[in-house]
Amino acid sequence: MMTGVAMESKIIIAIAVAAVVVVGVVAAAVVLMSGGEGGSVKYITLAPKDMKANLASGQIDAYIAWEPFVSDSVVGDVGEVLMWSDEIMDDHPCCVVAVRTGFLSETSVNGTDLTNRFVRAHVDATEWMLDALADEAGANYTKLVEMAVQFTARNESVVKAAFVHIQFGYEMGSDFEEALKKFTDMYIDTNMTTEEKLDERGYESVSDFVSSYVDDFYLATAPNVAESATILNPDRPIKLGYLLGDLHQLAQFVAQDKTVLGTDKSMFEKYGLKVEAAVGAPFANGGAEMGGFAAGNVDIGYLGAPPTILQHLNAGIGTKIVAQANSEGSGLVVSAGSGITSLSDLENKTVATPGESSIQFLLLKIALEREGLDLEIKT
Amino acid sequence: MQILRDDSIGILGRVTGLLGSWRRLFLGAASLAVFIALWSLYSAWLHGDWPFAYRSWSQPAEYIPYPSEVLYAFVDSFTHRDPFTSLYMTSHIYASLKRMFFGFVLAFLVAVPLGLLMGRSANAEAIGKPLVELFRPIPPLAWVPIFLIALKLFWGPIAIVFLGIFFPILLNVMFGAKSVDPVLIDAARTLGAKRRDIFTKVVLPFTIPYMMTGIKVGIGVGWMCIVAAEMLGAVGGGVGLFIYNMAYQGTMYDRMYAGMLVIGLLSVLTTGAAGFLEQRLSRWMGMK
Repeated sequence: MMTGVAMESKIIIAIAVAAVVVVGVVAAAVVLMSGGEGGSVKYITLAPKDMKANLASGQIDAYIAWEPFVSDSVVGDVGEVLMWSDEIMDDHPCCVVAVRTGFLSETSVNGTDLTNRFVRAHVDATEWMLDALADEAGANYTKLVEMAVQFTARNESVVKAAFVHIQFGYEMGSDFEEALKKFTDMYIDTNMTTEEKLDERGYESVSDFVSSYVDDFYLATAPNVAESATILNPDRPIKLGYLLGDLHQLAQFVAQDKTVLGTDKSMFEKYGLKVEAAVGAPFANGGAEMGGFAAGNVDIGYLGAPPTILQHLNAGIGTKIVAQANSEGSGLVVSAGSGITSLSDLENKTVATPGESSIQFLLLKIALEREGLDLEIKT
Repeated sequence: MQILRDDSIGILGRVTGLLGSWRRLFLGAASLAVFIALWSLYSAWLHGDWPFAYRSWSQPAEYIPYPSEVLYAFVDSFTHRDPFTSLYMTSHIYASLKRMFFGFVLAFLVAVPLGLLMGRSANAEAIGKPLVELFRPIPPLAWVPIFLIALKLFWGPIAIVFLGIFFPILLNVMFGAKSVDPVLIDAARTLGAKRRDIFTKVVLPFTIPYMMTGIKVGIGVGWMCIVAAEMLGAVGGGVGLFIYNMAYQGTMYDRMYAGMLVIGLLSVLTTGAAGFLEQRLSRWMGMK
């Protein structure tokens, strides 16, 4: 097997050469890596739950996310809010209530009627929250904070700070549709979806798509929904999708709470609904929840508007938007004491976003474009 | 630890002599063709296209696009910037290769000496084995959140790949160093070899084929980890990030499969290169 001394020296030489090459390439790569560029704001994608820690460790200079991930850093003295999302686009859409079209035509129960009742409970819960928030000295405010603490696993001060910038609401006005049109246009501009996909789903234009995808039938008829003494769907509960600890979606938590009404019945039960968390809920992000819709595991769900739009168009997942859950409530956070006081200070800095299709990313892009800055992936 | 050797094709090759390599090529092409044909049929069934008259399933047909659509998306990813990161596939490949390279170099530099040590010293094995057995089965994915924060955005993803490559190399080298024929060592000793000589002239050369096997398996596992490593916080993109974005943000499944195809091809190319190196090494060392 071995052929004497020559063998040994060959091996040693080979190892030495390999080592030199390896060290050389590593060194060259490190040198190449450190070369900087100029002219724009750099972004990376991070899960909102990881943003605070990355801001604290100096990995990123700023991030844009939804509540409570904004107040998390502010209350923890890690970050300061440079700009709230409503300063970028007033009353911009955020989370919505979506229903699976397959559920509407469900035969074992009356899917349309159940959806109508669900929307009514959502409206009641949202109004209860708005009333509670209007009076910070009231017992209901304390109760709401308690529920929010439980749902988000945050402390009271984070939750209270977060409430200030979230606009809960269910109405889907013309501003809402206009904003969705703008977002869809931006998706088409960047090829996240295409005109061909619109056509494939049977829509003539962006506005045709938005006006039929946003279905306000259920909101319009919600006031006519009657209470029910019995549960109408005992054997076929509504499978509810929602995101992990997303404060924007607190309405579903309130609607499930049996103590809010003081009648031992939750708002869902008041209207005869049995509601269960869907398999996989709480979901980590809207994309995963759309997967639940596609698989038929979710009947009605709370999630951000972008994944419903993109995945409906791109993958043909049968959903529609039946109500809003909130507007506003996101913020651009910079690290505390960083000296960043304006958007232009962000030039060449690294900002974390939840992903290119998120509303937060679109808003950041809109805000930077106004300052003449580009948003580019960090390299 | 199983040692992987390529005997299956060798038998056919020997039987058919010179025609062997053609036959192998034919069989390889045939298996790919059958796979693509079955895939096309399944897609057609989902889409309700010919030869199926109706849409057979409630799942969106986009889940399994046609092979041609995936091929188109594959080519498109090289000629057009991807809609999310605005990068070309070449940039993604560069970013992934860089991570693989750093992960591999680190894993190699740490695993080979450790494996030799644990293979030749009973004490070292007794010390190292419990840790290896404890950490080996932990999926690299489980480390993602903490690596990203503790090791930062550049080294975090590399560390994930490192973990995938590290254990196969370590275990193979250890196994190789352990299984050196004692007769060889005795023979060397009889000829007056010192401990150092035995190590450099007997143990090390004997271990190299095992090490190469470890490298080939490790590179494969490394590519498996790349999606997990690049899902979040991937600076400068990456094929894993591309796949993640196409699946979760865009539901552009044709592009997602195209990204998978890229990973598969990269893995074939890199393990192929390692295999080539292995052949060269063993021929050079006079083992074939």
